[in-house]
Amino acid sequence: MLTIKNLHAEVDGKKILKGINLEIRKGEMHAIMGPNGSGKSSLSSVLAGRENYTVTEGEVIFEGKNLLDLSPEDRAREGLFLAFQYPVEIPGVSNLHFLKTALNEIRTYHNLPPLESKEFLKLTKEKQQLVDFNANLMNRSLNEGFSGGEKKRNEVFQLAMLDPKLAILDETDSGLDIDALRIVAAGVNKLRNADKAFMVITHYQRLLEYIVPDFVHVLYNGQIVKTGTKELALELEEKGYDWLKEEVHQKESV
Amino acid sequence: MTSDKSFYEFISNGVPGPEQKVDADNAIMPARKLAFSRFKELGLPTIKTEEWRYTNVQRFLKDAFTLAQEEQATVTPEQLKAASIPQLDSYRVVLVNGRLQTDLSELPAGGKITVSKLSDAAGNAQLQAWFDKHPHLQSQPFAALNAALFADGLFIEAGVNATLDKPIQIIHVYTASANAFIQPRHLVVLHKSATLEIIESAVGLNDSAIAFVNAVTEVVLEENAELWHYNIQSTIKNSRHIYHTSATQKADSRYHHFNFTLPSAELTRNNLSVALTGSNTETNLHGLYLATGTQHVDNHTFVDHLVPNCNSNELYKGVLLDDANGVFTGKIHVHQDAQKTNAFQQNNNLLMSEKANINSQPQLEIYADDVKCSHGFTVGRFSEESLFYLRSRGIGEEAAKSLLVNAFAFDITDQVHIPALQDFLAEKIRQYVAGAINN
Amino acid sequence: MRNSNEIIDDIANREYEFGFTTDIEMEMAPVGLNEDTIRFISAKKEEPEWMLEWRLKGFQAFKKMQFPKWQHFEMPELDLQKLSYYAAPKKKKQLGSLDEVDPELLATFEKLGIPINEQKALAGVAVDVVFDSVSVATTFKAKLQELGIIFCSFGEAVRNHPDLVKKYLGTVVPHSDNIFAALNAAVFSDGSFVYIPKGVRCPMELSTYFRINAENTGQFERTLIIADDNSYVSYLEGCTAPRRDENQLHAAVVELVAMDHAEIKYSTVQNWYPGDKDGNGGIYNFVTKRGICKGKSSKISWTQVETGSAITWKYPSVILQGDDAEGEFYSVAVTRNKQIADTGTKIYHLGRNTRSRIISKGISAGLSDNTYRGLVQVGPRAANARNFTQCDSLLIGDRCGAHTFPYIESRNSTATVEHEATTSKIGEDQIFYLNQRGIETEKAVALIVNGYAQEVLNQLPMEFAVEARKLLSITLEGSVG
Repeated sequence: MLTIKNLHAEVDGKKILKGINLEIRKGEMHAIMGPNGSGKSSLSSVLAGRENYTVTEGEVIFEGKNLLDLSPEDRAREGLFLAFQYPVEIPGVSNLHFLKTALNEIRTYHNLPPLESKEFLKLTKEKQQLVDFNANLMNRSLNEGFSGGEKKRNEVFQLAMLDPKLAILDETDSGLDIDALRIVAAGVNKLRNADKAFMVITHYQRLLEYIVPDFVHVLYNGQIVKTGTKELALELEEKGYDWLKEEVHQKESV
Repeated sequence: MTSDKSFYEFISNGVPGPEQKVDADNAIMPARKLAFSRFKELGLPTIKTEEWRYTNVQRFLKDAFTLAQEEQATVTPEQLKAASIPQLDSYRVVLVNGRLQTDLSELPAGGKITVSKLSDAAGNAQLQAWFDKHPHLQSQPFAALNAALFADGLFIEAGVNATLDKPIQIIHVYTASANAFIQPRHLVVLHKSATLEIIESAVGLNDSAIAFVNAVTEVVLEENAELWHYNIQSTIKNSRHIYHTSATQKADSRYHHFNFTLPSAELTRNNLSVALTGSNTETNLHGLYLATGTQHVDNHTFVDHLVPNCNSNELYKGVLLDDANGVFTGKIHVHQDAQKTNAFQQNNNLLMSEKANINSQPQLEIYADDVKCSHGFTVGRFSEESLFYLRSRGIGEEAAKSLLVNAFAFDITDQVHIPALQDFLAEKIRQYVAGAINN
Repeated sequence: MRNSNEIIDDIANREYEFGFTTDIEMEMAPVGLNEDTIRFISAKKEEPEWMLEWRLKGFQAFKKMQFPKWQHFEMPELDLQKLSYYAAPKKKKQLGSLDEVDPELLATFEKLGIPINEQKALAGVAVDVVFDSVSVATTFKAKLQELGIIFCSFGEAVRNHPDLVKKYLGTVVPHSDNIFAALNAAVFSDGSFVYIPKGVRCPMELSTYFRINAENTGQFERTLIIADDNSYVSYLEGCTAPRRDENQLHAAVVELVAMDHAEIKYSTVQNWYPGDKDGNGGIYNFVTKRGICKGKSSKISWTQVETGSAITWKYPSVILQGDDAEGEFYSVAVTRNKQIADTGTKIYHLGRNTRSRIISKGISAGLSDNTYRGLVQVGPRAANARNFTQCDSLLIGDRCGAHTFPYIESRNSTATVEHEATTSKIGEDQIFYLNQRGIETEKAVALIVNGYAQEVLNQLPMEFAVEARKLLSITLEGSVG
């Protein structure tokens, strides 16, 4: 589904990603871990097409298409979804109106007719229940005045509504208390299926107790320095990142 | 002297022109002459002049004035003390009607910081470079009149990296035996990375005649310079004041200006303006006006963002008692090139009596898109709820009101970084409020 | 991806949608302004002597006045002698039903989407169409008549309800109020008149569509709305004008009078021709609108969406005379290309416990200038008066200007006045967020702008709100990269 080859990227002339290689197939759950500043969030930004990142080398193939050639909205329409670490607030634009616009834009892209209001509301209700999203938040302005937890849950609700092929969760767990974390994780788990892939970016192993990954990758200094299974996450939790950093530096000095 | 003639006529034709002024080497004579023709062209403002719509200055110019005035005066230690800030360790500069009195002063000596008479500095390159050059003064009739015919004033220059161990306190003594139109003129230049603290205060000696003070101060902050500038305006009833303070800030400089207008001059009009000509500057303008009786206090401020990445922050608070009249006009102008500007302005007012009033014009004029700018204005009375709370705890009405006014003013006084000055101001505010409430 | 400049150029080049002209034979007054012109207009309209006298008083006042100089833009030179002050469709006889209206004219309304047909009637809209100043068709008169509501052209009111007109004309905007109001008093050609009797709640939105068609004509309509005790009316005004290279002047006057416990809601969607991208042509929209809350607990609410005109210069005002009266002003003003908007409100608190609320949203793009100018005045009698003002400016691009000039005058210590203003631009992170959800940049901007203006759009009657939203999207679509 997603193939990243030797991806290099920089922001304001500073090298952030220094040769990422990653293959994600249908139905897989990948966790990306790493210390602060290792490039985790930059990876999600580059994949989603944030403008201030410049790709200097490498390629990204998503469902047979060159992802880097696409505009951010076309990436979304092709089925790439980013759950933001810091979802923005847009005053005056209701959550419901926003979602309807987004959903119909994506449908139009795929030559599907826009959803009738009735069908749309039905879908909304269904997904609300699925991910346990508070219906009262639907008519409020997009993320405006939402608590941190409500914003993150709104991201998962949008994920359910837009039904992408690949969902990237960028530190969705940060700032969440344990109850909110459980709800968010339960929502994500309900959305897991054989056709959908996930990339979960996190700083803490805690999330991975609730969302069990098939693969764990450790990002450090703009590169994936280690790949393993969920046990690797536990090991990181126990030992921290320092041993890995040393390993990398030893390799470099060789 | 005038009386039947208008003030404008009197100035234009009734007094010796700038060419009669004897400056040391006449280096600024061309500037004086230019300013005089500018004044004649601009004329005096009326209430139809947008910037003066709430201040009828003509009313204060009807009396007959003379431009000739005392160059010296007997100032008793008690009188000086009244204008001094207790417990404040500082250098002292005393001026009488704008003329430096070295015998009464205690000037910083031997360092990179010089304080001298403006007339003695007429040959100084800095004076020639900056005198009457501030862009915001060009359209101001009173500033033009000052430039054309000022008597004398101060020239303060701080060299590169200069700093002083304590603040400079400037005490302006104004005295007039006949109605006088007094025009002091000052220039403060801080060179690269210099730091200075200046505290200005004023005292009126004689209330048998009117002292109309039309003062101009130009401030220049070179790169990375920092000036803390406090101005305490508290003089006698029979005085009228128009001040222009115009600063130019170069890159990385910091200007902290504090203005306290207290009772009881009849008219106080402050024109404070800052031109930001270098990036990454910081400008803090704090003002408190507390007016009683029939005082008319008018604050006009102007922050001119000409270049990117500058920050300005302005907070003016007013307490109006009795029949006092307050005016606030604050303008923030962000030019097209001034991206990444942060400019904030807030004006809050407390009306303490039925007859007091306030006119406010907070203005934003913005031509750049990547900026954060806001202004806010409020007027109201203090919360009855708070007053009741205090009284139910056994605090008398007067004390409670005084407490609430002090709390209102706290945002400003709290920013004052000199403890002795902070105490002095808190005490002054307490006295004036108590006086007005007891009235 | 397209960059922002391309998108901005694109909207700049977008043509004015309503820029067609209608070929109808017009009857016009000779060019120029003098007493004869005024007598000509008055005679054409078969006016009584008192009306002519009032016009001449207006003209006398006008001659003594000069154009003001305080505005925050360069005042174009106006040659009032080059305008024709009267234009009416020539085929002029009393029209009873829509069938009698010139088909060309109906086709024009069709293009404008004016709700004049039966379906719209079912939707509850009564329309008084003012076409180049003369009212040609008034619908649903009968239904309104049953309730005692008078809704007719101004000319008709002068003929049929002279006492009401005499009683209120010029009481809110005097003939000598300002130069444009004086000009209007002298030469106004027609307009709308509304009277809602005591205790009546007008069951439908009353609506007038103004349109300037003839070349070289100024439009000088005059509207007078009186809501008697305990009555309610919501009035809609929409404006479009064809595209022409020369400038046209629109100097209308609107007077509102609300008696005890009465409420008037006045909504405007103004989409006059704004001129082309170089600033050629376009309407000068210099309008005097003022309402008086005469009675106690009365309420006047102005809502305006301003997207058109080369220059918009107006301050719909409210005089809060009655105790407990309430005034509101909601405004969205959009400018682009070289458009200028200098608009806002004046609220005069005279009575006790009077309240006012001002919400202004300015959006500037291109090389335009957008100014909020407003006055809140609290008089000495206005104990416990309250005002809240919020002025927000949104900038799109770095070559436009946004300005806020409030004037606040408080003469009562028990009054509370609050004013807040902010300036911002559309956040790149907001656009990116919407992009990431599959919404392209153009749509994203429209969405954000509509959200930004939401508080004001909410004040509009449903049908108008839909139109206003569409207008905002069309006007600003994709102006950020």
